[in-house]
Amino acid sequence: MTYLPYLGPLALALVALDLMWRPVGRAGARLRLPEAAALVAILAACGAAVMLAVQGVSSAALPGPLGQAFAVRIDIVSVAMLGTVSFVGWIVLRYARTALDGEAGQSGFMATMTATLAAVLLLVSAGNLVQLVLAWAMVGVGLHRLILFYPERPRAQRAARKKTVSGIAGTGALVLAAGLLIHGFGTADIGAIAVAVAGGEVPGTLWLAALLLAVAAVFKSALIPTHGWLTEVMEAPTPVSALLHAGVVNAGGFLLIRFADVLLAAPGVLALLALVGGFSALVGAAVALTQPSVKTALAWSTCAQMGFMVLQIGLALFPLALLHIVAHSLYKAHAFLASGGAVEQVAQIRRPGPVAVPDLRAVARAFGLALVIYAVVGLMFGIMDKPPQTVALGAILIFGVAYLIAQGLADLAPWPLTVRTVAMSGAATVGYFTLQTGITALAAGTLPLPPAPDGLIWATLVLALVSFGLASVAQATFPLWAGHPAAMGLRVHLMNGLYLNALTDRMIGQWRASKG
Amino acid sequence: MTTPSQMFTGPELEIFAAAEAAATLIAPAFPLAATVAVNPFLGQAGQGRAQTAALMARVAGVRIFRDRADYAAALAAGRIDRSVLQAAAQARGLRLADVEAALTRPAPAPEALPTVADLAAATTGTRLAELVEDRIGTWAAAHFDEGQALWPAPGGSAYGSWKAFATRDLLPGIAGLPGVCSRVAGLPQDARAAFAEACRVLGVTPWSARVYFQRLLMGLQGWGQYARHIDWLAARDGGRDTVLFELLVIRLVWDMLLLEAHRDALGKSWEGALVRFAAPVAAGPEELIDETLQEALERSEEAALLARLVARAAPATEDAPALQAAFCIDVRSEVFRRALEGADTGIRTIGFAGFFGLAAAHRGHASDVVEARGPVLLKPAVATEARGWADDDQAGRIGARAKRAWGRFRMASVSAFAFVEAAGPLYAGKLLKDTLAGAKPVVQEPAPVADLPQAAQVDAAAAILGAMSLTKGFARLVLIAGHGAGVTNAPHASALQCGACGGHAGDVNARLLAGLLNDGAVRAGLLEKGIAIPAQTRFIAGLHDTVSDHVTLFADAPLPDHAEDLARLERALARAGVVARTERAAHLPRAGKPEDLARRGGDWSELRPEWGLAGCAAFVAAPRAHTAGVDLGGRAFLHDYDWQADRGFGVLELILTAPVVVASWISLQYYGSSVAPEAFGAGNKLLHNVTGGIGVIEGNGGMLRAGLPWQSVHDGVALRHDPLRLTVMVEAPCEAIMAILERHAGVKALFDNGWLALMATDAAQGTVRRYEAGTRSLLPGGAGLPKAA
Repeated sequence: MTYLPYLGPLALALVALDLMWRPVGRAGARLRLPEAAALVAILAACGAAVMLAVQGVSSAALPGPLGQAFAVRIDIVSVAMLGTVSFVGWIVLRYARTALDGEAGQSGFMATMTATLAAVLLLVSAGNLVQLVLAWAMVGVGLHRLILFYPERPRAQRAARKKTVSGIAGTGALVLAAGLLIHGFGTADIGAIAVAVAGGEVPGTLWLAALLLAVAAVFKSALIPTHGWLTEVMEAPTPVSALLHAGVVNAGGFLLIRFADVLLAAPGVLALLALVGGFSALVGAAVALTQPSVKTALAWSTCAQMGFMVLQIGLALFPLALLHIVAHSLYKAHAFLASGGAVEQVAQIRRPGPVAVPDLRAVARAFGLALVIYAVVGLMFGIMDKPPQTVALGAILIFGVAYLIAQGLADLAPWPLTVRTVAMSGAATVGYFTLQTGITALAAGTLPLPPAPDGLIWATLVLALVSFGLASVAQATFPLWAGHPAAMGLRVHLMNGLYLNALTDRMIGQWRASKG
Repeated sequence: MTTPSQMFTGPELEIFAAAEAAATLIAPAFPLAATVAVNPFLGQAGQGRAQTAALMARVAGVRIFRDRADYAAALAAGRIDRSVLQAAAQARGLRLADVEAALTRPAPAPEALPTVADLAAATTGTRLAELVEDRIGTWAAAHFDEGQALWPAPGGSAYGSWKAFATRDLLPGIAGLPGVCSRVAGLPQDARAAFAEACRVLGVTPWSARVYFQRLLMGLQGWGQYARHIDWLAARDGGRDTVLFELLVIRLVWDMLLLEAHRDALGKSWEGALVRFAAPVAAGPEELIDETLQEALERSEEAALLARLVARAAPATEDAPALQAAFCIDVRSEVFRRALEGADTGIRTIGFAGFFGLAAAHRGHASDVVEARGPVLLKPAVATEARGWADDDQAGRIGARAKRAWGRFRMASVSAFAFVEAAGPLYAGKLLKDTLAGAKPVVQEPAPVADLPQAAQVDAAAAILGAMSLTKGFARLVLIAGHGAGVTNAPHASALQCGACGGHAGDVNARLLAGLLNDGAVRAGLLEKGIAIPAQTRFIAGLHDTVSDHVTLFADAPLPDHAEDLARLERALARAGVVARTERAAHLPRAGKPEDLARRGGDWSELRPEWGLAGCAAFVAAPRAHTAGVDLGGRAFLHDYDWQADRGFGVLELILTAPVVVASWISLQYYGSSVAPEAFGAGNKLLHNVTGGIGVIEGNGGMLRAGLPWQSVHDGVALRHDPLRLTVMVEAPCEAIMAILERHAGVKALFDNGWLALMATDAAQGTVRRYEAGTRSLLPGGAGLPKAA
């Protein structure tokens, strides 16, 4: 029964092979098969969830020699990922069946997308390092083919080339990390490695393995400065963006969560991840603010959200990172698939007249009010007993909520609007704490708790709080300074993504005509 | 922008004039929030299609005719009449044998004249042309953004904003073009002075200027057209704006920068290019052959259309109808009108421009935004408002603002993380809801109210009824039906709405007219003007959803004595809906059962919810009796017109100068997006990336793309829109038509230069006369019409 998670990938792989060998014509009935296989995967994920609830964490290797390389693991991490990915996969395949109708390459597209989805499911349910590495590489290959759905487009070629470079670097790091782990622990079984590390059995190369895992994750999740390809993938049809942003980029975060125990044994790597993640979060979010094209803005937002998720990992808040991955996947898949509504959305924004601008006093009051909401709701959820990392992260999120309140506190905002924004802020805070408490409870025993803070962790926390605090003040007071001439230069540089991608382009000769 | 002319030399002033002339040759593109079709060849109406083809090859590198193979297939299939081909060839001084020989080989690929950027790219091996496009596109997207980015770009004039951008933009330096920032910083503040400087450096002469400028402007694609729309609206309303000129200056400066950077390598080739730009543009033999083939195909199709009208069923009876129903002239109404007349023989339908004569500046419920709900050719004349109760309006605003605050919470930098952690999981429900969505519901706003004095209301009502040829024989119940398309997740949704209503649905205008004509005081005023609306006649507004063919009726006024009439109307509408859906489902991919059509509108993954005006081929201005019963396949604009009731031919003049022109814009937009999608189409919907809330780019960069998306004109296998010019058929005396054409040179040019065809029908005599550009007169045609009963 523990093999249940193989059912989804198996169904998807069979469908993909069928579509590859026997391409289906326009609007053919077999175009519904990928969706059906994804439904099987959803059911299998539900079954795995039931098994987890009934019998707890389990893992099983395939019988015979295959068992050396292939094993599944059922725990909260794999169940959450299986559920999310198969659900989003079903939505995306369903969308692609209609949206790509009339495209000559639809059958092949559906096959590749189905196969890629199968690989992602194999990846997230892997109980064995070999399976994990193989699936990781297959995801990369599938994605490469999807990005090049219109191979004649020069911009698509460039995005694919960057993706290839990134993929080779990430996969290379992962292969090395896996080699070190297998060598160090004498096993490829992920569960056994976790148990060994938690038991204090630490080989000397563990920090290097942790570092390589971090490198692989940074490349896969397209954190700055490896983000170049991610913000250019709009060269492929919309469903590819949805699957990529909701399913594939998460693989980096998943990898880190999967090896949480290994990372905990390497505090320096965690601090590094917090730094890289936090930087991506702040820069990506700032760049997203300046983007006038909807998909481009969404892509930069993914870069930021992945950064935030990695920051959470850096703070050893693994369950929260898992929650972030799931929540972000669902949100971002929807945002991409519905991005055609941007014209109507912009029109709607304009209808109720100008946005009331909060002054400094209103912003200060908003922050005060947000902290009160945080304290009240937090006390209800027992914040006093939580580790400082959790409290600090909650504070960062409350900085964000303050922005919502500030909009309602502007002098020109009518009273009922103030009431509404405060109510929405309260609801958001309750929602946040509920989810956070829920995932922490679900992950208890599977994912490690954050360690008691030492000097390095305190430094990381303070840095994170200060930088996000400043960013949120800047965001709330934004209309007061954005028009200033000095901000104009900053805006131009942000719009250009701080030229990080341009520098990459130059390094790999993207502007040379001979290669385009 | 008034710089004293003494600052500039004579040749410079000539070059300025060339820039202004080049700018007027660019067709405007309206923002997608309310887009309307525009003839992409608007600037070329004064010349023939062969000559336009020669020009477009040079300035845009595109071909504006179909592939030769298409013509060969049409000839082989008998769609092109050989004798018609012979005549078309003769008229252009070509031999039939040469034309037929050309069918066997592909036409030579057009090649645009090179800009400095093109030459520099070829010389240096760096993709400089693309860099220029990328940099201008990046700046323009931010400058023209209507609210997508939370951090808006600083405002100001186009040139000023670009200069501020370019002096800070470090990307060209990284890409291998150093010194751009400082060079741009040293440019004059004034766009005209910068223009003069760039022209001096580039050595632009008055002779080379016009085609060179047009080449640069065409290269700006949608951004140029969007800028032109701003200037165009300003000019329509009596003002003046120079946004497109400023864009031209920006593009010129880029060529100047590149020439300065690569003077040694490029000097010679650029001089050569300028000579080519200065060469007169004339149609060559290949363009004439293409024009001949297209013309022959169109004339053969005209004959087929006439034959259809000849084969029509008996005209409707002349008794007073039980019900009347007025629809927009939109080609999609033709299918539904035919179905409605078939569903209940007591119903007579009327065709009129869907804004129903009321060009409204409309403010929707809980909205500050004034929408122009009328043809873009007209400045909105009537201020209207969807006025609910005041507190209701306020509550709507609070709701909208709270929603907006939540949206900003979602998008802003730090709060986006909080948003995802607090609300992300809710999107599982949204994904499920959107993937399983049914038909899109019609949003009902409060009835619109016009801010118009009594006398003006009466005048408007009289003028509208006159223009509709509806001044007598009123039925007890008259439906005024606007149309709209209930689609979702579609950036080009407004292209499916009513063009006459400025790219909005037609409900507001229909409800305005129904309200006006139900008003007792207005009726009293109309009586004084000789229009007697019987007391028992009531008008009811409706909205025809062109996706589902469902008609929503608006109960804005009580109908105490009309329960039976209303029930009859509803029954007929329901039956007509079934018939119309069945007919349309046959042409839509994956349509399934006719009743499934409605669901396409709510399906977020559906890229072909309906076909819009694809296939439009004819415009008929005549009493409905002349076309009733004929299956025109949803390809004809039908405008009711009774010349005997039109004293002084004022209504005819209106029809030829307004609805016909609008129809020509639609027809030529579809034509351009079909034959030259790379220049006049909006690209692939699968790759659309909505920019600034106003337009789309394809993928992750490049220029804005105006026109229609490929999926709107092509069904995946073949073109859904048959690229043919529009045939205008008018039931009116020839002298009256000719007199009007003589007064309106712009309209006449469309017929003279082959952009439209014109026929005058005389149902009483059963004759057709065709306007021949060669002789500039209406000549007897081959096929005849049956005499009206």
